[in-house]
Amino acid sequence: MSCAKFETDIALYAGDDLPAGKRSRIEAHLAACADCRALAEDLRTNQALLGDLRDEPIEESMVAQVRRRVMAKVSPAPRRPARLYWKLALAAALILVAVLVWPRRQVKPVRVAHVERHIAPPQIAPAAQVSIRPVRHRIIRRRPRTPASPPGPPLLVQFVTENPNIVIYWLVDQKQGD
Amino acid sequence: MTACPRENSGELAVFEQIMAQYERRVFRIALRLLNNPQDAQDAAQEVFLKLYKKLASLDETQGYEPWLFRVTVNVCRDIGRRRRRSVGIAEVADLVAPHPGAEHDAQRAEQREIVRRGLSRLGEKERAALVLRDVEGLSTREVASILGSSENTVRSQICSARLKLREFTGRLMMRRRS
Repeated sequence: MSCAKFETDIALYAGDDLPAGKRSRIEAHLAACADCRALAEDLRTNQALLGDLRDEPIEESMVAQVRRRVMAKVSPAPRRPARLYWKLALAAALILVAVLVWPRRQVKPVRVAHVERHIAPPQIAPAAQVSIRPVRHRIIRRRPRTPASPPGPPLLVQFVTENPNIVIYWLVDQKQGD
Repeated sequence: MTACPRENSGELAVFEQIMAQYERRVFRIALRLLNNPQDAQDAAQEVFLKLYKKLASLDETQGYEPWLFRVTVNVCRDIGRRRRRSVGIAEVADLVAPHPGAEHDAQRAEQREIVRRGLSRLGEKERAALVLRDVEGLSTREVASILGSSENTVRSQICSARLKLREFTGRLMMRRRS
């Protein structure tokens, strides 16, 4: 086609996109050129068909589906049940911790052994230059053994040496059955 | 994508109102750009979720339309690139609701079908420019603003798209006539 240089302007002219200054020049050419008139006519037909697409009704169910999906995402969800679940879970956890910790905090009574054996005097090294007599011991506090009685406090045994500065204390746990 | 729910019911009401106003146009543009109803639904959903997130920061005196159409084009471009699939025109044609009494002109219906098919054959940018300009009827300046291009670039894209579409429809019409 010999009018190729007009094609671009005719395409713009068909959609009213050509500046007013160029319009009269194209109109003069169209009046003289049958091929370009046919081109312009085809382009105008397509313009009208494209306009038809704008007027075509859209399937409403498709649009409604999009609306439902969007609103489901943006609408505030009911929060109360979720908060309640958290509160219940927290309360249950606190109860569980309390149950696990409580027995460990109870102080068990000390069971003291009832000692009846004599303890040999401690051996002191000769280098210490201390003369030691056989150690005598005395039970400071002693409870009679009663199998059924509950365990008493720890038994304190004091060892006295010849050196008044050396006193040995022995704290004895009482075992059950001793 | 999950939107953060807001307590402000007033804002939600405004959002619903905007959505009701633009949902069909957004869906239609997405359908023309993606040529697939499911993809168009996904695109429209994404557009409105973005609107919901941005609603507070948008200037309502500027109108929501340019922002919505710009985001629609961008979202469709991303979805199109992600999925890279082409769906037959029959699928889109099925989506158009029956128009009682409107399809008496069989030739016109056939031409519209051919134009629709030709539209789907265009490149991404040319199709976007043509859909916004010739299907949605926006001005060249508005299209340029939405696409982030100059008016000259948009004119060039529209011109090229119209000529390609004319070539496609002319070829197909001639084949059907013979």
